[in-house]
Amino acid sequence: MTAPLDAPGKTAEVPPEAVLAGAGVKAIQGRSLGQIAWMRLKRDKVALAGAGVVVLLIITAISAPLIVDVFGHPPNEFHQEMIDTSTMTPKGGTGISGDFLFGVEPVNGRDLFSRVVYGARISLLIAVLATLLSVVIGTAMGVMAGYFGGWVDTLISRTMDVFLAFPLLVFAMALVGVLGQFEQNLGVTGDTLRIGLLIFVIGFFNWPYIGRIIRGQTLSLREREFVDAARSLGARGPYILFREILPNLIAPILIYATLLIPTNVLFEAALSFLGVGIQAPTATWGGMLSQAVKFYNVPHFMFFPGMAIFITVLAFNLFGDGLRDALDPKTSR
Amino acid sequence: MVTYIIRRLVGALLMLVIVSMVTFSIFFVIPRIAGATAEDFASRYMGRSADAEMIAVTAEKLGFNDPIPVQYGRWISGVFVGSEFDTGASIEECPAPCFGYSFIRRQPVWPDLVDRIPVTLSLAVGASVIWLIGGVATGVLSALRKGTIFDRAAMSIALAGVSLPIFFTGIVSLVVFSYGLGITAPGGSFTPFLENPAQWAYSLLLPWITLAFLYAASYARLTRAGMLETMSEDYIRTARAKGMRESKVVVKHGLRAALTPILTIFGLDLGLLLGGAVLTESTFSLKGIGDYAVQAIVTNDLPKIMGVTMVAALFVVLASLIVDLLYAVVDPRVRLG
Amino acid sequence: MNKRSAVAFAAAGAALSLGLSACGGGGGETTPADGSSGAPAAAEAFNAGLEAVFNPSDKKGGVLKMAISEDWDSVDPGDTYYALSWNLIRIYGRSLVTYTPAPGAEGRKLSPDLAESLGESSDDGKTWTYKLRAGLKFEDGTPITSKDVKYAVLRSMDKETLVNGPTYFNDWLDLPKDFKSVYKTPDVNTDSAIETPDDQTIVFHLKKAYAGFDNFAALPGTIPVPKDKDTGVKYREKVIASGPYKFDKVEPGKQYTLVRNEHWDPATDPIRKALPDSYEISLGVNADDLDNRVLAGDLHIDLAGSGVQPAALGRVLGDPALKARADNPTGARTWYTSIMSNVPPLDNVDCRRAIIFAADRVGLQNAYGGEFAGGDIATGLMPPSIGGWKKLDLYPTGTGDVEKAKEALTACGKPEGFETVMAYRADRPKEKAIAESLQQSLGKAGIKLDLKGYPTGDYFALYAGKPDFVKKNGIGLATNGWGADWNDGFGFMSQIVDSRTIRESGGNYNLSITDKEIDAKIDEALLETDVAKRDAIWGEIDQRVMEQAYVLPSVWSKSVLVRPQGATNVFVTGAFDMYDYLNLGLE
Repeated sequence: MTAPLDAPGKTAEVPPEAVLAGAGVKAIQGRSLGQIAWMRLKRDKVALAGAGVVVLLIITAISAPLIVDVFGHPPNEFHQEMIDTSTMTPKGGTGISGDFLFGVEPVNGRDLFSRVVYGARISLLIAVLATLLSVVIGTAMGVMAGYFGGWVDTLISRTMDVFLAFPLLVFAMALVGVLGQFEQNLGVTGDTLRIGLLIFVIGFFNWPYIGRIIRGQTLSLREREFVDAARSLGARGPYILFREILPNLIAPILIYATLLIPTNVLFEAALSFLGVGIQAPTATWGGMLSQAVKFYNVPHFMFFPGMAIFITVLAFNLFGDGLRDALDPKTSR
Repeated sequence: MVTYIIRRLVGALLMLVIVSMVTFSIFFVIPRIAGATAEDFASRYMGRSADAEMIAVTAEKLGFNDPIPVQYGRWISGVFVGSEFDTGASIEECPAPCFGYSFIRRQPVWPDLVDRIPVTLSLAVGASVIWLIGGVATGVLSALRKGTIFDRAAMSIALAGVSLPIFFTGIVSLVVFSYGLGITAPGGSFTPFLENPAQWAYSLLLPWITLAFLYAASYARLTRAGMLETMSEDYIRTARAKGMRESKVVVKHGLRAALTPILTIFGLDLGLLLGGAVLTESTFSLKGIGDYAVQAIVTNDLPKIMGVTMVAALFVVLASLIVDLLYAVVDPRVRLG
Repeated sequence: MNKRSAVAFAAAGAALSLGLSACGGGGGETTPADGSSGAPAAAEAFNAGLEAVFNPSDKKGGVLKMAISEDWDSVDPGDTYYALSWNLIRIYGRSLVTYTPAPGAEGRKLSPDLAESLGESSDDGKTWTYKLRAGLKFEDGTPITSKDVKYAVLRSMDKETLVNGPTYFNDWLDLPKDFKSVYKTPDVNTDSAIETPDDQTIVFHLKKAYAGFDNFAALPGTIPVPKDKDTGVKYREKVIASGPYKFDKVEPGKQYTLVRNEHWDPATDPIRKALPDSYEISLGVNADDLDNRVLAGDLHIDLAGSGVQPAALGRVLGDPALKARADNPTGARTWYTSIMSNVPPLDNVDCRRAIIFAADRVGLQNAYGGEFAGGDIATGLMPPSIGGWKKLDLYPTGTGDVEKAKEALTACGKPEGFETVMAYRADRPKEKAIAESLQQSLGKAGIKLDLKGYPTGDYFALYAGKPDFVKKNGIGLATNGWGADWNDGFGFMSQIVDSRTIRESGGNYNLSITDKEIDAKIDEALLETDVAKRDAIWGEIDQRVMEQAYVLPSVWSKSVLVRPQGATNVFVTGAFDMYDYLNLGLE
């Protein structure tokens, strides 16, 4: 289950004159795509809000230790005194106070706020790096398929089809489970390997989404006049690739990368929820939700990690949507 | 037309072969690279009372010492003609199609899956009908009423829908509607359609709505975007200029064109869902294929995991094939291409 | 071996039809003396079913609805090792002797079932003879003979076909060398182990004397199986009943329905009342949902008998009306953490002691569910209900004594602490909580734990129970738990402290106690014929285990059970520490 991206649609054609006219600019000076996009983006309040939240999240993730130092307690530290020992629930229901901003977890009394903040670290780290991996592989593959065509294209396209045919979650679960054996056989300890594993699995399975879009974009860019012009001037393959085509791909890459990140956040949360993500006691949003299911009579335990996931995904989606609208004038809102 | 069909069929078959090979290597080759021995495989199959000798014998008998291609060949042929597993203690039969034999549960994998397919099927098909109709309708209306309150509200809700993890919405709705208000069936109460259609629908109501909400949201967005693009095309203007009724313009020209990419995705989504709506089934305790996969992974039951993965992939490929063939019916350009 | 209690685990489920339990229909013969039929329901009170029969009645009729969230190993009497199964099996099977259906400690006493009386020993306890009652029949009318009991015992010993059950008969019967199994060597004469001189008599010959053989005779392995109907591992799909009920619908993993067995003769069965008309058992029901249904009255019994889920616990203990429906039995089960004495630096006893000093014992209790649902903080390995139990006072039972821990660390040469790996069963949230708790509390003394979760199914076969895996991965601590097969020292301790049960190939429950003194004491206990003296020896073994810090015990397990609405004869049996399933009836 993923938050599906748009189908590969028509490419972003930017007739500069039309946009200029719409912007009401008097000078005939041409504006670059970036400048146009930026102007449109600035007008889109909702997208800006999303971007703001994204920035906030990133800052939170990076400065998690600092935040927790000031506002909370170490994420794995138990606070049994907050727990009612007969029912194992926090005394007084949630335990929310100035000391424990989000309250405490049942049974062990861990500071929920700290755990959510540290969870942001893990979720964003994995999602962003996995997206990076997908983008790198997807762009490389997509460009090759689109530009060279022929059997290269067929091979790469079929490979993408194979990837898309896999029951993603089941496969990822099984793969992490099997590769988890690696850890055991090698006797490795710690979170790092597991994080790397998740980045690899998530990133590796999602590259076809980027790949298909880039391929489509490359295909149409290839036939554009400026490419012909460059060729007629004597430019050869690599030059055209790097100087003409790639720069024009930055926009779609940016858009779809931004839209892929929330998908990957959900993916990682799902894997943690099912128990194959990062192992205890490290805090992850998905992991906390899976524990919260057992304690549905302590609703704040479910609420905060769930909302954290929601807000993160929403913010990235809003920003990504705004970015796409800004860079693709045909779909005006 | 015929060549198209044949090509698609061959393509699907090839896909299945590749998927089977990848599945097989994940479970049998990668662990080897990580240092697993034939004995490790055998002991995982045998359970706790076996001693070193018995394990070695089992490893030999079950063929874990054979070269990888041979093992693969044996597994694949098992799918078609069935196979027997001689563990040294007894001979376990696994009739065709044999997707694996779980030693932990002492049962072939396929019959369990067959039992569970109706559950996943009910869940997926029911939800898909709801989301397709609901999502597309919402998207069309939003596109037509672009910029109005309806559009903004619908798109906001849709955005929320794709941003919420289904295991979160699922649990919350379970707690609120089933445990709390008691108006929907609690998790795990599935009644087969043939037994009692009314009860069947009731038991699936909450999972359907929760699942459909997620997909309807994204389909609404997709449809809206697609409609907006299509409706701004020249031929729409022409149709209007010719005096065609607006509703006909929207449906016959606008929607038809916008629908094509939607259907592609629908086929793929449905196929993937059939391959295991893991999260929904987990959350609502439905005994479908996805839940089977989770169980298999938690209990580290290798044959089950392999079997489920293969069957899930089978569904996806099948769904894609059906969509491709439907395309040929609907879109003449495809037939010739 | 370990009698497992099913740990609840969210899984999927087929539906149970709705509707409250119907108050039973026709054919009700009520004995006026105890009859509470028509009388108002007994007064609900917390723990009312613990030592007394709640809502006694002899009213017949109705459908008893049971459900469980997780499946158990098998309904085949020769292939099962779960406490809930041993409890339930008495409905459709009769063993030579069985546990008396009576509340509390009375329930641990054995009563003759198929046999006329408890076993007669001779040859200094190496030979045991039982005489079967007359008039016993299987569900198809064929008479039950001693040969059927012998066959049942022999088949249960084939651990390759029927992998699950206990191995007491394998270990103790005096079998001929060429006998492998009833399936592989059916013609080998096994009279040296079990003799059936006539259809009513069965004689067991042991390799060594054992005074408690009746405990073996109570095992489901002695439930008779007709040889011509035995289908090996498939027998679980069609078990031939010898008890008052037989299987009607068998859908493994989904549901079982049992109905009356017309060939069961109540005249031959003084212990069973056989009140309900039928039983409906649903498997794979979502655990939280199960609790809600029991509380609402839709279901009678959670078959697992291990207590309500955390969410329901809050409700039950928080609401006085619900609390009055609860019973809080203590089980003959200890949850503990094995301290591997063969993995450095835990080969030094002071390092091991440091772990116990530093551990937050209250935190461990909370991890298992607190004082009600978890259990009492355990001071020793053996639970209090086992004969010979003494309260030990070797270590503090507070929230961890870092001072003492540091002293012990200095004594073992690691004043700054050390690092080790802790293994736990990944899909058991309570064990995860234990691991996390220990990581925190031991960390305060400088002992750093790296937590690794392993799948439950293979935990003992491939991971914590496999010596070279443990050594290779430096696993110093491993979560563990043990329930007594029966309530004496042998029934509890034998498989978990005897070094001679450790196998290199894995599958061990004794994760690393290799202590010659303990082994010697075990041998002493087995030879001791005086019960009090024998129990005392097991108490000494318990003490040595704790002195040598081989084990960090967490709790003696307790569970919070909820009495069914509309059921009669509800009580907790001391045999299984859950509701006795044998004589439940409907109002």
